[in-house]
Amino acid sequence: MSASRDRILAAAQANKPDELPLPEVPLFGGDATAERFASVLAGIGGTVVWLEGLGSLVPTLQQLFPEARNTASPLFRGTVPVDAQTSTGILAEIDLAVLPGEIGVAENGAVWLPEANMLHRALPTITQHLALVLDHRRIVATMHQAYAQLPGTGGYGKFVAGPSKTADIEQSLVIGAHGARSLVVLLY
Amino acid sequence: MKVALFVPCYIDQFYPQVGIATLQLLEKLGVTAHFPAQQTCCGQPLANSGCERDALPIYQHFVQTFQDYDYVVAPSGSCVYHVRKHFDKLDQTAAVQHVRGAAYDLIDFISTVLKVDTLPGAFPHKVGLHLSCHGQRGLHQANESEMTPVRDGQLRRLLASLDGIELTHLNRNDECCGFGGTFCVSEAGISARMGQDRVADHVLNGTQVLTGSDMSCLMHLEGIVRRAKMPIRVMHAAEILNGVVA
Amino acid sequence: MNHAIRADKFLLDADRTTWHDETLWFVREKRDKAVYGVPEFQELRELASQIKNHTLSRLDLYLQEFEAAAQANGVHVHWAADAAEHNAIILDIIRQQGATRVVKSKSMLTEECHLNPYLIQHGIEVVDTDLGERIIQFRDEAPSHIVLPAIHLKKEDVGDTFHTHLGTTKGESDPQRLTEAARQHLRAKFLAGQVAISGVNFAIAETGGVVVCTNEGNADLGVNLAQVHIAAMGIEKIIPRLTDLGVFTRLLARSATGQPVTTYTSHFTKPAPGKEMHIVIVDNGRTQQLGRPDFRASLKCIRCGACMNTCPVYRRSGGHSYDFTVPGPIGAILSPNIDMKKHASLPFASTLCGSCTDVCPVKIDIHTQLYKWRQVLGEANEIPASKKWGMKFMGRVLASTRVYGLGGQFARRALRLLPHGLTHATSFNAWAVARELPAPPKQSFREWYAKQPQPAPQPQPKLPA
Repeated sequence: MSASRDRILAAAQANKPDELPLPEVPLFGGDATAERFASVLAGIGGTVVWLEGLGSLVPTLQQLFPEARNTASPLFRGTVPVDAQTSTGILAEIDLAVLPGEIGVAENGAVWLPEANMLHRALPTITQHLALVLDHRRIVATMHQAYAQLPGTGGYGKFVAGPSKTADIEQSLVIGAHGARSLVVLLY
Repeated sequence: MKVALFVPCYIDQFYPQVGIATLQLLEKLGVTAHFPAQQTCCGQPLANSGCERDALPIYQHFVQTFQDYDYVVAPSGSCVYHVRKHFDKLDQTAAVQHVRGAAYDLIDFISTVLKVDTLPGAFPHKVGLHLSCHGQRGLHQANESEMTPVRDGQLRRLLASLDGIELTHLNRNDECCGFGGTFCVSEAGISARMGQDRVADHVLNGTQVLTGSDMSCLMHLEGIVRRAKMPIRVMHAAEILNGVVA
Repeated sequence: MNHAIRADKFLLDADRTTWHDETLWFVREKRDKAVYGVPEFQELRELASQIKNHTLSRLDLYLQEFEAAAQANGVHVHWAADAAEHNAIILDIIRQQGATRVVKSKSMLTEECHLNPYLIQHGIEVVDTDLGERIIQFRDEAPSHIVLPAIHLKKEDVGDTFHTHLGTTKGESDPQRLTEAARQHLRAKFLAGQVAISGVNFAIAETGGVVVCTNEGNADLGVNLAQVHIAAMGIEKIIPRLTDLGVFTRLLARSATGQPVTTYTSHFTKPAPGKEMHIVIVDNGRTQQLGRPDFRASLKCIRCGACMNTCPVYRRSGGHSYDFTVPGPIGAILSPNIDMKKHASLPFASTLCGSCTDVCPVKIDIHTQLYKWRQVLGEANEIPASKKWGMKFMGRVLASTRVYGLGGQFARRALRLLPHGLTHATSFNAWAVARELPAPPKQSFREWYAKQPQPAPQPQPKLPA
């Protein structure tokens, strides 16, 4: 191991204060309704669309994204098969990715998306449009409950809250920075 | 109840009427305050400039001057905050601890110790309340916009109880005025700009009389108002309250 | 060159100062709205503060726990004592790949270490992919804010820059169209990137994973398309448990921009099969700060920028007036630890109003630390000599009742008798540049009081003989 490692650890040990307690974090309460989730998501540029059931997924998508030519999804047969080995060039042409979300967070409109649901790690951000399919019973109130329910973070996973955005030019909000230009959460 | 009046150095020299109003207002509220003549300053100007060590004799002088009083009342939250917070540099003798706890801003004293929230009297003017940071954030005399949208506080309540008064609704309720002690000369450009912006908020929203409980902020704001010849009168809250209470 | 001089330059353009102040105040207002909406927000601040305090008190242990977990995840862990070692490690990793094209998402640490110029000097193309950072990279400027790096620029400035570098139409200043141009430009860079460098918002000791928060998605896009991911983190980014993120993710974006959460909260724990992930853990003065009891709490910072947005000085002087990677109040307490002489004026660039402390999501006592740095600087003779000796003189005067009374009389008389042009001469009276001096009264309070009938007997103060 490097000399710097030992020096840093020794200095941290020598300079740290006496041990202070680690607090227990309560789960807190909060509104865990789909209505709250939908209104918060709308406030950050996303949209909630209700599905009558998973059976109506494909027709709903056709209605929402009539222009989408290159689609990828583990939930139905998209036009582009994507897996972890798919080349960057093919990924770059995806118009719409439809991926299953695991947990929704009502307080901030975020959806937990684990690697296992992504087909390829880059897909959720490189696709022009992203649709996440979520069981409305998996909506929790806050991030505390969300993390408490996560079995782990796997190799890679993320909370996605709305479409990619930036306000780096004069604080003007622009939707569609580098990632998906739009985000729809399909609740069933 | 033995109450001493602490009149900060700049009030003593430049705003004697504020010291007088403080004394008279306390008298009307049933408190006879005594002014120990040997008092000088709390030492804050030195300490805020990085010369805390040079301020220690001033701290000691302050404690010696006021240690035998139950309360030390000053028309300046900033000085009181300094005594309470930064006299921790002294050996914490019983006298030092007592004086730190006994120091009160005038409005805090009226609200917390005398438990007076309303006053009889009329002041039919549009009044803009300047919250001094040390009184508000340091001594918790008013709500902070960092924590809550509710604009409430000791002086706001006292003023609101006066007949005919209208309190200005500022765009920025508790932005610093930019005085900052020696900051006002070491960063004169920013200090002036902050003061100008603060006054502009009052002008925009119709303030006729600009008041507060900390004369140091008001000295700075008054300097800007007078330079720009704005139609705003600057008064310490003690002057307003003493003027209306019979 | 001190902060006041640089601030005065910024103030010369009064309209731009107004715009800068109002733009950042708008962010502060968005933050307020988000904060008011969470009833337990103050409780969360306290929890975050305690978690960070606890972590610092076991920092060496958590760093080792983190390292072991990361290595078990197949991640390469490197340690850098300072900026030079950080830069050398990263260059080495890039060279081992035979790579020349690097995409980078936002990392204040790499700014602090001046990584970009170092890599460029060694023949590596480094593209900053955060929009704000790309803008200032084109302009060869430093970020003026840690969350909003290009907040000192107006859209017309960005339009000019993009016209020069991206060929957008001259005069185009619509943020939507400028952002689209950057999207197209950076997509090509992402697709070609061989190595992706990211910062780290949180490093979880328990899992060995790192969390990166962005709104644009640039970290995810860069990392997941490149062969190698290098995450650079300061030692203070550690948190103990995965569930602690419940606290920090609720605080970070609300404090920073008023969003309920960043668009992407990405957990990078293991490299994708066939790819590489490296984490560079950096000290660069942090363990020294840990050893300063008055200042170690500055290491709790989660880089939300709220103290900048609320600071009335920062809003009117701009981030570049601080001449340090991290500007604003938090920068003013971090910078003297790095170079006390160079940054001696920063702890004085504050009125000590305390708003920074009250917005800080991890409850760093920023304004108290500013005050304490002033004392350290005073003791180290890093304050102007005129101020130092003036204060020594004042100290003697104010510790003596008699000398004080005489001095005050003299000052008032001088103010009354001297002509306005002399008392308000701006060359030696900074007060008078924009303010009138108080109208000097005929008598002081104490002179008035001495003439009043004395009240009932009062205690006789004990004064030294």
